[in-house]
Amino acid sequence: MAAILDRPPITSQPQMRFVIYAIIALIVTVFSVVFLQFISVGGVGPDLLLILCVWVTLSEGQYAGMLFGFGVGLIFDITSPDVLGSNALAKTIASFIAGYFYSELRMSKNLSTVRFLSIIALSAFVHNLIYFFLYIQPTDISFVSFFVKNGVASTLYTTVLAIAPMLWRSRSMER
Amino acid sequence: MQRFLELIVRFKEYITLFALVVMCFSLMSYGNVAQLGGFRSIVIATIGTMQDAFSWIPNPVALKTENQAIRDLNLQLSGEVVKMRQSVIENERLRSMLEYKNKSTLPLLNSEVVGKTSTDTRNYITIDKGSASGVKDGMTVVTDAGLVGVVIGTSKSYALVQVVLNRDSRISAKIQRTHDDGIITWEGTENLVMKNIPKVQDVQAGDIITTSEYSTKYAKDIVIGSVLEVTSEGNSLFRKIIVKPAVSFSSLEQVFVVLQQPDPERLELEKKMEEILRRKTTGK
Repeated sequence: MAAILDRPPITSQPQMRFVIYAIIALIVTVFSVVFLQFISVGGVGPDLLLILCVWVTLSEGQYAGMLFGFGVGLIFDITSPDVLGSNALAKTIASFIAGYFYSELRMSKNLSTVRFLSIIALSAFVHNLIYFFLYIQPTDISFVSFFVKNGVASTLYTTVLAIAPMLWRSRSMER
Repeated sequence: MQRFLELIVRFKEYITLFALVVMCFSLMSYGNVAQLGGFRSIVIATIGTMQDAFSWIPNPVALKTENQAIRDLNLQLSGEVVKMRQSVIENERLRSMLEYKNKSTLPLLNSEVVGKTSTDTRNYITIDKGSASGVKDGMTVVTDAGLVGVVIGTSKSYALVQVVLNRDSRISAKIQRTHDDGIITWEGTENLVMKNIPKVQDVQAGDIITTSEYSTKYAKDIVIGSVLEVTSEGNSLFRKIIVKPAVSFSSLEQVFVVLQQPDPERLELEKKMEEILRRKTTGK
């Protein structure tokens, strides 16, 4: 509760917060589709939208996080050549798992400590497990080798990149 | 009803998850519908335009990967170019051989060189056809370019050929243009030497040298080479003619065996005469 009360006036309004989340989601989606290639290493890139989904889930709860994950995943599916619904499914389930760690009382701790990275790592692992399973379905590629090469690498990259919002949150709390 | 609603509220996360998962699977099977496909294609085209607009931004990692891929491709293509060049050369050589075989009146057996042996000043090649294919000692071996040598030993599947670049070679030859006869020998260089051509005879560089009909060892009229240089040695009455072999022995791969042996009756007679002359000379 204290964390909610600590929020700035605009973000203390739920509707306004979701509008901001939606705008951020659109920006991150466009960034992911257009610019992700520039930060990809060996064809493996971080999942910025997943970081946002987990952030929203840990801030707003499992139910809202799931809906947000579904919406964001669907937008990404539409803007990318992926199978329609694959990202939506993966992000919905990843948000659902992240939702188990949601607690209003521990919101700040969840977002500003290494705990956030652990939640991101777990969610990203499950997300990639589902996503890459669906991704390789039309091909003859071995799921295990493909997941070890791409899924695990992407999970690590996403977790490393999640340090940025974690530090930002930690700094903003110190002020 | 109240209980049912309470139950839904209590398990709303699970119910929502189930509903969303069902929707996702529905979308996965709905994804190919033309209407949505058209919309997606517009979105993807827009994104593609945006990506294109920012494509000027250098991406070191992608460039490195691309460079590596291009290098790999370059290496692969270089290998293919070499193979293609080899194929073209081989094709030309085989065409030429085939043409020679079709034109030739001699009974020819095509064969592949499987080995090359050099001992001191004697050079031999091994071919992949032997007695089982009708190859016998004394048969002449040629290519479309000219004379290679003579078969000196056979097994069931292989034959050993003494090439003309051999210290033991003594080939009865003639200048094709003038029909002057001489003896071709090898003195250890890359060229052959033609001897016994009197100084009065007209020999010019470029003249073709062929095997003579007097040869008991080789089939007649097979090109040996061409005159490279004509020299006169001091008081000698004869010229020394340097002959460039028509066959490139270093790149010899396919040959023909002329399935003809020298006439045994003629060989026998000449052998007897040689023996008589030798006895007369030595007095034994």
